Amino acid sequence: MNVLGPDYRRDLGVRHYPLLVYAMTPIAALVLQALLPRFLHDYAWFDLPLLVTIYFALARRDPIQGTLMGSGLGLFEDALTQHAIGVNGVAKTVAGFLAGSVGVRIDVENHTIRLLLTFLLSILCSAIYVFIYRVLLGLELEWNWLAELMKSVGNVAIAAVLFPLLDRAQIRE
Amino acid sequence: MESFFARYRNLLVLLAILLAQIIGLAVQVHRTVSGRNTLDAPDESSVRLIRLWADAVVTPPEQLFHAAKMGTGSLWVDYLDLRQVREQNKDLQKTIDRLRLEQAELLEDAKQGQRLQSLMAFQEKYIYKTVAAQAIGSSGSDSSRVFYINKGSAEGLDRDMAVMTADGIVGKVREVYPHSAQVLAINDQTSGAGVILETTRLRGILRGNANGRLQIVGLLADQRIQSGEKVLTAGGDLIFPRGLPVGVVDKVVPDPDRDSFIDVIVKPAAHLNQLDEVLVITSTEPRFSTEQQQDLATSETLKGAEADAIKQQQKASQIMAERLPGLTDPNAPPPAAATTPGQTAQSGQTPAAPVVPPTPKLLPARRPDRFTPGAAPSPEASPAPPGEESKPEAKPAQKPEKPTQPRRNL
Repeated sequence: MNVLGPDYRRDLGVRHYPLLVYAMTPIAALVLQALLPRFLHDYAWFDLPLLVTIYFALARRDPIQGTLMGSGLGLFEDALTQHAIGVNGVAKTVAGFLAGSVGVRIDVENHTIRLLLTFLLSILCSAIYVFIYRVLLGLELEWNWLAELMKSVGNVAIAAVLFPLLDRAQIRE
Repeated sequence: MESFFARYRNLLVLLAILLAQIIGLAVQVHRTVSGRNTLDAPDESSVRLIRLWADAVVTPPEQLFHAAKMGTGSLWVDYLDLRQVREQNKDLQKTIDRLRLEQAELLEDAKQGQRLQSLMAFQEKYIYKTVAAQAIGSSGSDSSRVFYINKGSAEGLDRDMAVMTADGIVGKVREVYPHSAQVLAINDQTSGAGVILETTRLRGILRGNANGRLQIVGLLADQRIQSGEKVLTAGGDLIFPRGLPVGVVDKVVPDPDRDSFIDVIVKPAAHLNQLDEVLVITSTEPRFSTEQQQDLATSETLKGAEADAIKQQQKASQIMAERLPGLTDPNAPPPAAATTPGQTAQSGQTPAAPVVPPTPKLLPARRPDRFTPGAAPSPEASPAPPGEESKPEAKPAQKPEKPTQPRRNL
């Protein structure tokens, strides 16, 4: 399977989605991220805004769009917490940029690759979050890496369902 | 130049956005005098606009969802699931009648207790007014234990108001929006509440750890702390009124960072993971009604009158003490004001003789000895010179000693 070849990459087109999907999916991700932990309590092992960022960055194959979406969603996520605004923003900005950059080079139709990328970017996001909070800002923060690992696994599980659903929403010519 | 920007456009956009966010972070974080970095903003009364926007985006769907959930729940409970309601009503009516009687008794005790505490100038605050609210959302991050409630500044909420349930404290209001508020739960890492152990009376600071568990930090190792001991609010943080239940001691673990210190893991009294309805304490003024205030004023008046009466009694007893005869030594010089010779000569009056109290007279001893009062040592009774044996038994026979009057010795 040729997934990295430049010729194959050029053959792939950029996906397009209805404007409503572009607008409502991030908002729905933010709302559900704020709502579901009330019912799942300590088992809310997922990060829906990150999944939406990764999905659209991969699908659009555009690092700038991934950067902007990751930045916006991360800042809004930060605004819902009592923490500094920008920690999640920086983490998701990097994740969106990387997802958009990688999307140019790999076959985003391959579901396994998308899930593997989701897992890696989830871990990277957590690492950036801890780095900014502890090192850059010098704030105290206890961290549980097992919980972060479980969150990455949860993200993969949700992505396995969410990504195909969003694939159906794309505009096909 | 144009080709440079076109070639590195993606990277430049990324760097610009990252730089803007990092500068924004640097603006938010302050360094305290002690050298620690903190997020506490100098102006606590303001809300960052982006938080307001995020709340405006997230809260309406959450409130809609909550209303739908409540509507569905009430439809089921109020109209569909009505089995055995009559029997329950009868039982509840009996319970209400019984509780009314108990409440009347307890109310009297409570009034008396408050009145006494006020008289003793206790500064303890009572929960005066609360606002019931529903938890509608969360932060969505497991590193941030905050949740949102559906009441805000329009309902009288303000920052740093305590939030509790009937079981115990829950957290404090951190941000206030027009129709919602952000509550920082007590099991968050950045929260802090002054607590006291009920039995051992040890005080500490309650906060959350990375797993969302409550722990009291900064306590010296103490063998008296046992599992099951109740933890109450200490009231020193000016947020939580004193004496509210916090939880019970679960276990004691050594502090990983400091020797001889321990962390007390606390099992919360309130179900922090299953919050639905909460109470926000909006006022902690003394809980006295107008009638009770009048009672207190009356008590204060009575207390003042009683103090006056005690003062009058003390004055009267002092006057009486001056008039009553006392034990006076006749040999003592008379008071200067009353017995000055000059004054006596001028007035020509006899100075008043000092009143001598009757002295009890001792009966003469039948067999006096040298210990008998008044038996002054005589030359005969003086110790014999060395070498000469004294015979005290023979002398009374030759010259019986006359019993003497006891010397008055005042």
